[in-house]
Amino acid sequence: MKKDTAGTLRSIYIGGGTPTLLSDKCFGELFRCLKDNYNFSSDIEITVEANPGTIDGSKIDAIISLGVNRLSLGVQSFNDNELKTLGRSHDSEDAFRSIETIKIAGMKNFSIDLMYGIPGQTMDSWRDTISKAVRLSPAHISAYELTPEEHTPFFKLLETHKVSMPDEELILEMYNHAIDYLAGFGYEHYEISNFALPEFKCIHNLNYWDRGEYIGTGAGAHSFIGKMRSGNIKDINAYIEQLNNGIIPESESTKLTSEETLKEFIFLGLRKTEGISISKSQQTGLNIVDASGTLINEGLVEIVEDFLRLTRKGIVISNTVIVKLFEKLGL
Amino acid sequence: MIKYKAYMKTPKNIRNFSIIAHIDHGKSTLADRLLEYTGALSSREMTEQVLDSMDLEKERGITIKAHAVRLTYNAEDGNSYILNLIDTPGHVDFSYEVSRSLASCEGALLIVDASQGVEAQTLANAYLATEHNLEIIPVINKIDLPAASPEETRKQIEEAIGIDCSDAILASAKEGRGTKEILEAIVNRIPAPKGDDSNPLKALIFDSWFDNYQGVIVLVRIFDGKVMAGKKIKLMATGDSFEVAQVGIFSPKMEPVPELVSGEVGYIIAGIKMVTDTKIGDTITGADEPAKEPCPGYKDIKPMVFCGLYPTQSHQYENLRDALNKLRLNDSSFIYEPETSLALGFGFRCGFLGLLHMEIIKERLEREFDLALLSTAPTVVYRVTKTDMEVVHIENPSRLPETYEIIEEPFVLATIFVPKDFIGPILDLCQEKRGVQRNFTYIGKDRIKVEYELPLNEILWDFYDRLKSISKGYASMDYEFIGYRESDLVKLNILLNGEVVDALSLIVHKDKSYYKGRELSEKLRQIIPRQMYEVVIQAAIGNKIIARESVKALRKDVLAKCYGGDITRKRKLLEKQKEGKKRMKQFGKLELPQEAFLAVLKVK
Repeated sequence: MKKDTAGTLRSIYIGGGTPTLLSDKCFGELFRCLKDNYNFSSDIEITVEANPGTIDGSKIDAIISLGVNRLSLGVQSFNDNELKTLGRSHDSEDAFRSIETIKIAGMKNFSIDLMYGIPGQTMDSWRDTISKAVRLSPAHISAYELTPEEHTPFFKLLETHKVSMPDEELILEMYNHAIDYLAGFGYEHYEISNFALPEFKCIHNLNYWDRGEYIGTGAGAHSFIGKMRSGNIKDINAYIEQLNNGIIPESESTKLTSEETLKEFIFLGLRKTEGISISKSQQTGLNIVDASGTLINEGLVEIVEDFLRLTRKGIVISNTVIVKLFEKLGL
Repeated sequence: MIKYKAYMKTPKNIRNFSIIAHIDHGKSTLADRLLEYTGALSSREMTEQVLDSMDLEKERGITIKAHAVRLTYNAEDGNSYILNLIDTPGHVDFSYEVSRSLASCEGALLIVDASQGVEAQTLANAYLATEHNLEIIPVINKIDLPAASPEETRKQIEEAIGIDCSDAILASAKEGRGTKEILEAIVNRIPAPKGDDSNPLKALIFDSWFDNYQGVIVLVRIFDGKVMAGKKIKLMATGDSFEVAQVGIFSPKMEPVPELVSGEVGYIIAGIKMVTDTKIGDTITGADEPAKEPCPGYKDIKPMVFCGLYPTQSHQYENLRDALNKLRLNDSSFIYEPETSLALGFGFRCGFLGLLHMEIIKERLEREFDLALLSTAPTVVYRVTKTDMEVVHIENPSRLPETYEIIEEPFVLATIFVPKDFIGPILDLCQEKRGVQRNFTYIGKDRIKVEYELPLNEILWDFYDRLKSISKGYASMDYEFIGYRESDLVKLNILLNGEVVDALSLIVHKDKSYYKGRELSEKLRQIIPRQMYEVVIQAAIGNKIIARESVKALRKDVLAKCYGGDITRKRKLLEKQKEGKKRMKQFGKLELPQEAFLAVLKVK
C-alpha cells in the first residue's frame, strides 16, 4: 500500500518479543520506511514495548528522536520470587532503574504491565506491587490475569504440579483491589484490564475494541482490513522466507459474516467499561436493551444513558454474560 | 399374474433347522457357507454375512431379527432336499423370539468355538432347543485357529449340556471346512416335519416386519393345513381376520409360491397394517375352519427395561415421535408413551426387552433419524401394591407413590460361565449385587458354571462390564426372568437447589440407599458445571436429607487479554462456550449437562 491509499496512521505499536533489542540503526530504518509509506496523523501515538533491563538512556533518546512517544514496560511484578516463577530475566531493581531512565529522558507517557494470579503470589505481595507501581506515577497501567498457555515451560510446571495457580477467590480479590486502589489515584478503569490517567488511554488498544482497521506486520501479527481478519504465520523463518518469495505470509484469514460482525461488536464493545452504545447497536439492528432484561435483573449488566455496560459483578464473568447475550440476541 | 418357480416338495424332503451359538462363535459365517454351498447365492452375490442385513447387526456382530432362508440341497442319497434355515437372534434380550424360532424347527446346529469352549449363551440356547425336543447337531467351529482345542470343547459340551458329542462335526466356517458334513447331517439326523395338509391351517408366527409397499410380512412355520392367496385367515390371539394376498419363500430373495403346506416355512402377506397385530408366537388359522388349539407357548411379552427419552432441543419433539412410530412399525416388542418431566420437558417413556434392545433403539434413533437425545437412567418395572390394594406397575421411579403396602422387583436367574481363576471376584460381585447362589458346577477342568438369583435392577447398572473386566473378558452370562419378589426398596430423590429433579429419582435397596445417595451427589457435583448461582445437590429419602454437596457459584471467568489484536481467537472461544451450552438442559435457572441424567450409572 502506498501513502495515498493507506490512509493516515493514528497509532503505531511496536511490540511482541523485545523490540528494544533492535539497534538504533534498525529503528531508524524502520521509521524511514514507515514515513515513506504512510501519513502520520498529527496526534499519532507511537508505542514501543520494552522489558526492564533492555533499555538505557541513549536507546530511549534515540527512539524519542524518531517520534516514539509512549513506552510500555513489561514489569509484571516487583516481587523477585514471582518474577522467577514467571521465568523473567529481570528483577525488580532492573524495573526501578528502567523507569528512572525513562523519566530522566522526559517520557511521561509510559505504561506498566502488571500481572496477578501468579503462583505463590499473596494479597500482600500484590498490594505491594501495585502501590510501588503507583508511586512511579505511570500514565497507564495494564493489570493482566496470568493465563497459562499450553506448550509453554510454565504450563509444564503446572501440569507436573511443581507450581499451582492461586485460589479463584484470591484472584478475584486481587482484581477488585486493583480497580479500587487505582481509582483512588485517578486511574480510570477504562477497559477490562487497563487503567489510565485522564488523556492517557491507549489509542492503539481502543482501536481494537472499536473495531477500527489495523495492519499487523511481523511473524504472528494480526490485521483487520475491510471485513477481513487475518493472522501472519508464527514461525519467523518461514515468515521471512515467504516474504522473500513474494508470498503474503498469512496463516489464517477470515472474511467476517454479518453475524460474526455483530458478535464482535458485542464482545469487543463490552471490554470497554463504558460499554456498547445503544443507539449504535440499534443501527445494526440489534435490540440489546430487550435482550439484556434478565442480565440487568441479575445485576450483571446495566444501562447508563446511551450505554449498556458490564457491572462489577458482570465484568469478572464477562465470557458467561456475553454468551448469554449472544443467545438472547439469537447470535 | 405371478409366475411361480416350479419346485418339488413332500414333507419327507423338508428339513427345518436353526443355528444356535454364542456371540462371535461363527454363526453368521457358517450360514453364509451353507448358502454358498447350496447355490442359494453365488460367491459373487455374497456380501459378507447375508443374514445380518441391518447395519447395526453387522457392526455388533449379532442378529437382532430372525430370518428364514430356503436352501435346496442335492444330498448324497441322490434326493433333493428343501432346507429351511431359521436364523435366531443371539442375545438374551430376545430369548422369546429365539424360543419361537426354535419352535418352528425340528433340529438345530449347535455351534461352539473350539478356541473359546462353551459359553453362557451356548448353554441357554441349547437348553431352549432341548426343551423344544429339537435334534441337536453339535458343530465344533474355528478348528483352524491355533488355540483351537476340539477335544476339550467336545468334553465341555457333553458335561455342560449333556448331549452326545461323539459324532460332533469339526468345522471351519471361515475356510469352508465341514460344510458338506453339516448339510448331510441336517438331512440324515434331523427328522422330517410331521403334519397333515388336510387338517385345518395352523401356522406359527415367528417373525414379522413392516414393508412400505406390501404392509406387514409375516414369517410362519406351517404345522397343519395349507395357505394360499385368497384364503381367509384368523390370528388366534388377537382374533383379527385377513385375506391372504400372497404367500412365498426367501431363497434368500423374496419369491412368491402358489401355496405353503404343512412342514413348510415361508411368508404370508395379508394386507395387515401393523406389526403389533402379528404377535410373535401367535397362531394363524383359517377363518372359516379354525384349528381347535393354537400352537403352544404363546406369550404376550412385556418390556423389562424402561427409560425416558427426551429431545435435547424441545422443537425436536415431533420428530422424535415420528421416529419412534417408525421404529415401532417393525418392532412390536418396543413400546413408548408420552411423558412429561419437570426437568426435561416433553418426551417419551420407552420400554425395551433388555439393555441391548434399549441401546439399539437409542442408537437407531440418533443415527437413522438424526436426533439429539437425552435419556434418563434405565429402570426395571416395579410391582407396587397400593394402600387400597390396587396393584400398579411402576416404570418411572418418580411415579412411585409416597405410601404403599408392598413393593416387588423383578428377579432373574443368571447363569455365568467363567474360568476358575476368576471365580473369587465373580462371586464377590454377585454378592455385592444382592445375589443368592443357586448352583456351582465345574465344567471340564478349568471352567465353572455358577447360577445366581439376582434382582434385574442390579444387573442393569454396571454388572456386565464389571463381569467382563474382572474376568479379562472370559466370563459370559445369560439370564432369564423368574418372577417378582418383595424387596426392601426406597425411592431416592435428588434435589437441586431444593427442588426435586424427577428425572433423577431412582428406586434403590434400603441397605444401599445411603451409599448411593452420597455417591450420586458426589458424582453430580463433579458433572454439573459451575453456574452463576451456587447449586446445592441433596439426596433425600422421603423428607430425610441423606447427602449434601454443592457446586460453588461461578465467580470469575479468565480475564485473558486479546494478544496483539487476535480477535478471531477470542470469538472462537466464546462460540465454543456457547456450543457447550446448547447441549445443556435448562432446569429453572440451572443448566444441566446430559451426563447428569446418567450419573447414577456411574455409581457402583
